[in-house]
Amino acid sequence: MTNKKIISLVIGIMCFALTAGICIQIKTVKNYNSKISQNYEENNLRTEVLKYKEKYDNMLKEIEEIDKKLQQEIEIATANNSELEEVNRQINEGNKMIGLSEVSGPGVIIVVEDSDMDSSADIDSSNLIIHDIDILKIVNELKNAGAEAISINDQRIVLTTAIICGGNIININGERIGSPFEIKAIGSPEALANLSRPGGILSNLKDKDIGVHLRKDNNIMINKYSGVLNFKYLSSLK
Amino acid sequence: MIFLVILIACILGAIVGLNAPMISYTYSSYLAIAIIAALDTVFGGIASVINKKFDMKTFISGFFGNGILAILLTVLGEKLNVDIYLAAIVVFVGRMFLNLGIIRRYYVEKWTENIKNRNKKQK
Repeated sequence: MTNKKIISLVIGIMCFALTAGICIQIKTVKNYNSKISQNYEENNLRTEVLKYKEKYDNMLKEIEEIDKKLQQEIEIATANNSELEEVNRQINEGNKMIGLSEVSGPGVIIVVEDSDMDSSADIDSSNLIIHDIDILKIVNELKNAGAEAISINDQRIVLTTAIICGGNIININGERIGSPFEIKAIGSPEALANLSRPGGILSNLKDKDIGVHLRKDNNIMINKYSGVLNFKYLSSLK
Repeated sequence: MIFLVILIACILGAIVGLNAPMISYTYSSYLAIAIIAALDTVFGGIASVINKKFDMKTFISGFFGNGILAILLTVLGEKLNVDIYLAAIVVFVGRMFLNLGIIRRYYVEKWTENIKNRNKKQK
């Protein structure tokens, strides 16, 4: 009898581990590729891409950690030295302005997404999607309304940012970005909310059945520019 | 009794597994092959319980040994660019069907005997 109990206990523990493993596996697979193709080659390529993406994410995390360490080191080095502290303060102030540090403040969040109308019903289906020029116009208007920091799907708009059409996606800062576009802008919420005025760019988009949502927010977080600003040809005139 | 324990353990495992954190995609293929190996061992264990040949040492060493060997083969196959894990899957799934066959035959025989006995009593 005790022997039988031990046997069932052991098998039970193993079944427990087994089902737990199966559930974790199912969850992981579901998270990464919703579509599993019957094509062997295609699956391999997808796996490869996912692996690289994961590596990329891990690298980004590492960079973030190193940045944090650097910040700490700078703080330790500049402590108890009023001159260096002043310089550090100036650097931080400069970074804030050119988009190299995370910022927060009041502003608006605009979400624009491609129309969900059936494209076959329309003669010109390009009317139903958002183009780079629409995003450019919105960013331009936001700047005109006094936006101090702007980001599109967490891509910070900095001095060197280009917004370029890339087929069915838009390249911003060299990163591929697709609909829906979440445009965050820090500035006076009232002034920025004027973008939705009749005849403005947002109402024009709305007329084309493109989804446009604008909401004010008192605390918007905008990420820093993830790339590196390089100036090769620039020199200051004395 | 054993099947009740298995059922409860499976339900508990599902609950824990659904709440557990996700693993990195790179390792999910290793987990997959380990799952197949473990599944094979569990079916083998149940079949041997039915045959009354159950040996604890064989069972436990099979559970871990098969799983680890399968993972190592998968890693080796990845390095050599040969899909060795396919061979492991064929072996494990083949044995799974064999063991399932043993379990099925045992219960089918038991069932037919029960029916025969009942018929005799009625006569």
